[in-house]
Amino acid sequence: MNISRTLLITFFLSAQTIAVAATPIIKIEIRNHLFYPAEVIVPANQKVKLLIHNTDPTPEEFESYELNREKVIVGNSKAVVFIGPLEQGEYPFFGEFNMSTALGKVIAR
Amino acid sequence: MSFSYVRSTKNPIILISTCALASIALSPNYAVADGSSIDKIYHPYVQALEQEIEYRSRYQKDSNDNLDGQQRHLLGFGRSFSDRVFGEIYLEGSNDSGESFSIDVIEVEAKIQLTEQGEYDSDWGILFELEREKSDNNWEASSTLIALHEWTDWIVTTNFGLIYEWGSRIDNEWETSFSTQFRYRYKQTLEPSIEIYFSEDSKGIGPVLSGTFRLGGRRKLMWESGLILGVNSNTPDESWKFNIEYEF
Repeated sequence: MNISRTLLITFFLSAQTIAVAATPIIKIEIRNHLFYPAEVIVPANQKVKLLIHNTDPTPEEFESYELNREKVIVGNSKAVVFIGPLEQGEYPFFGEFNMSTALGKVIAR
Repeated sequence: MSFSYVRSTKNPIILISTCALASIALSPNYAVADGSSIDKIYHPYVQALEQEIEYRSRYQKDSNDNLDGQQRHLLGFGRSFSDRVFGEIYLEGSNDSGESFSIDVIEVEAKIQLTEQGEYDSDWGILFELEREKSDNNWEASSTLIALHEWTDWIVTTNFGLIYEWGSRIDNEWETSFSTQFRYRYKQTLEPSIEIYFSEDSKGIGPVLSGTFRLGGRRKLMWESGLILGVNSNTPDESWKFNIEYEF
């Protein structure tokens, strides 16, 4: 393998690492049809990866028209939702299968 | 709107227009499956545990008697098989070519969500369809690349289709289609959009309204209605379309 190819591969691997590392990961748990935390603080103007763990045996749907996101998370499983970059503000979300209890909001600062 | 969602500052209109022109330029004899391609523009997303009943209809008006008054109705049932794969089966009835209305077409489709929503600059999916016209034993197989780009409160969705059709009463041939939708996220129950259809037999543009009503639990009702105006002589002057989906 010549030096230029090695440098090229190193560059792409570094770029991938930087890209992955640049997306903050925020964990949310669904427990007893509630979101924990219910208020999710995220950096403004930056893409964020929400890692949602549904610990209930029943499915839940993370939904927000304001965030333009909709994701069903089956019982006892995890799902990923990418949001942003968001301008500063509050973006409500809810669990569609338990709308009376599963409520929360993303706060971009 | 009070909120703003900024995923990219790139202008998707330029991006999509460039892709459309490139696809047409690179295709020496672009065309579309026989008949109008004015239908539904697919988004790339699949939800786990999703089931739906779908009804689609289209009614054409034209100064040409051969195109005037044609109706097409589809009734489908679909369900997801995972959080990435969705399948649907349709029965289709029409009164094309001056014939009386009959249910003559069966169609199956599978949609695969290729990327996570919001992970990349655009979201991608692919759709495979197989259709059989029973009376004439005509077949059509197609694959459609679906791209969706968010740009502030605008959503640009583009479908690039590659179609092969064969049968006893049609020429065996490859065809292509292109359609795009510029949708404004005004509110969940009402989103206006402009749709463009471009192919050999169908060239049209027109306004479409759509929306979603939550009915509690996982039940939702999604509707879409619009008018596509033909811009060449092969396309009906007016194609009225109405789609409704009940998700449960």
